[in-house]
Amino acid sequence: MNFSVHTPMLQRLRCLLAALLLTLAPGAVPQNSDLEVEVIVSPSLAEVTLDRSLLRAVFTMRVREWPDGTPIRVFVLPDDNPLSDQFYREQLGMYSYVLRRAWDRMVFTGTGFAPTVVRSEAEMIERVRSTPGAIGFVRKREASSQNRPAPPRWKIVAITADGHG
Amino acid sequence: MRLAAALAAICCSGSAGAVDYQIHGYAAQGFVLSSHNDFFGDSTDGSFDYYEAGINAAVRIQPNLSFAIQAAVRDAGISDDGSVRLDYAVADYRVLSETSVQAGLRFGKVKNALGFYNETRDVVFTRPSILLPSVYSDNQNQRTLIFTSPGAQAYGATVLGQHELSFTGTFNAEREVRKNDERLLVELTVPFDLRVGDSWNLQVMDSVDGGRWQFAYSHFGGQFRMSTEIDLSGRFDVDLNVFSARFNAERVTLTAEYVLIDNDNRLTYLGAPFLRQRVAADSGYLQVEYRLGSNWAVMSRLDSFYRDRHDRSGHAFAAANPGIDRRTQFSHDFTVGIHWRPDQHWGFWAEHHWINGTAILQALENPPPLRHQRWSMLMLMAGYKF
Repeated sequence: MNFSVHTPMLQRLRCLLAALLLTLAPGAVPQNSDLEVEVIVSPSLAEVTLDRSLLRAVFTMRVREWPDGTPIRVFVLPDDNPLSDQFYREQLGMYSYVLRRAWDRMVFTGTGFAPTVVRSEAEMIERVRSTPGAIGFVRKREASSQNRPAPPRWKIVAITADGHG
Repeated sequence: MRLAAALAAICCSGSAGAVDYQIHGYAAQGFVLSSHNDFFGDSTDGSFDYYEAGINAAVRIQPNLSFAIQAAVRDAGISDDGSVRLDYAVADYRVLSETSVQAGLRFGKVKNALGFYNETRDVVFTRPSILLPSVYSDNQNQRTLIFTSPGAQAYGATVLGQHELSFTGTFNAEREVRKNDERLLVELTVPFDLRVGDSWNLQVMDSVDGGRWQFAYSHFGGQFRMSTEIDLSGRFDVDLNVFSARFNAERVTLTAEYVLIDNDNRLTYLGAPFLRQRVAADSGYLQVEYRLGSNWAVMSRLDSFYRDRHDRSGHAFAAANPGIDRRTQFSHDFTVGIHWRPDQHWGFWAEHHWINGTAILQALENPPPLRHQRWSMLMLMAGYKF
């Protein structure tokens, strides 16, 4: 009798595994190789060295203050913005949906704050510039471009490699 | 559709001086259409008796001190009644906050960490599907028992190379079980009162390589005490051990969880032992989620639950309990689902369950003997969060 109960389940398991193998087959994943992202921080912050482990700790909202004691305020672009995906993947080594899951868990358990979502890069620059302790990310500016207006007074910090990349 | 679209699009966060605050919320309305058996209401005719909503506020006074509170409602057929409840109310004091190690304490009504999904189980945006797998006993309202409770919580996390190890330990104070939940847990013809004694909960998690792999072990241990006016009393010891593993790739997430539930039930009548029963139930599932793009995802799951792991077919139970069908002792659920998130606020879900066995049904919704062993269920849900 046991057998009659479990046989359909085994068949379904086989189907599930087959489906799984199909999904694991390499697919063409669009990469925005023309996008380069960089981190921006509030001008009020003293020079900080951001390596991957600190960036991860900041963007997963695990640390709440900068070494000088200023509260950290994190700004991000919407999850479906290609720049977000690029930044999380390249600089944090994480997927945006994994981060969103961690943020939602904090927001709906009362254990932490979610980053503030801004609608555009222009808003990101404005909010980071005007908020003490702020951190965010934007498309990298081309150093060679002469026609661009002078960069605003937000601080761009170098990201040091930590060997995990 | 009582609650759908009930909340306006207000998303508040900001800072007033040194104080940061955030306000968030969610609301979702479900629909269940099932064959043969009822689930979350009169679902054989189509049930809208399934919704969830909540609103929360968090205030950070200093980087190391914050307060948060959430009020929630949920209706789910007979297993939840839609009354407003305090979901959590917590003060969080961060003792240690460095890049590679954090630790802190929380007090108040805190969420218990159990498996991957328990803490945010009522927010559909955080679930892999509308209905959680049977590891989470979604159709037995145990929220006042296990899932959130007044107490003290210690937490910590540290980074060791590619591993981010985290820990949550909770001590829960003795508490009353809501009347609506009591009738779902104990069937007794005389009035009774059920309390949960001191209990504790623990979770350790290893998140490897930025969350690519996640492994967790969770434990809940507690005692339930039942008293009646006729000198019949009961003590039910419950131990839950949950083993969780998840693999997160770019498009695919594979999740497997297994729970072992040990029950040690003792009834005493007129001061003398009356009944002793030890049962070990278990449940597990294997689930795959596949993201088709940034807005669409599909999922599939194979889920099993057994009321007695030593009697998986239910034959021994049926022999010992004439008149009760053996098929009430297990359920196997094969699920496929699809999920659309057009933007960061809205979400729409649809899923179909093919189920063998009736262990996940509520007896109060499906009075015996009318139980069909093989049944199916279509679930739809629309939700909004901010």
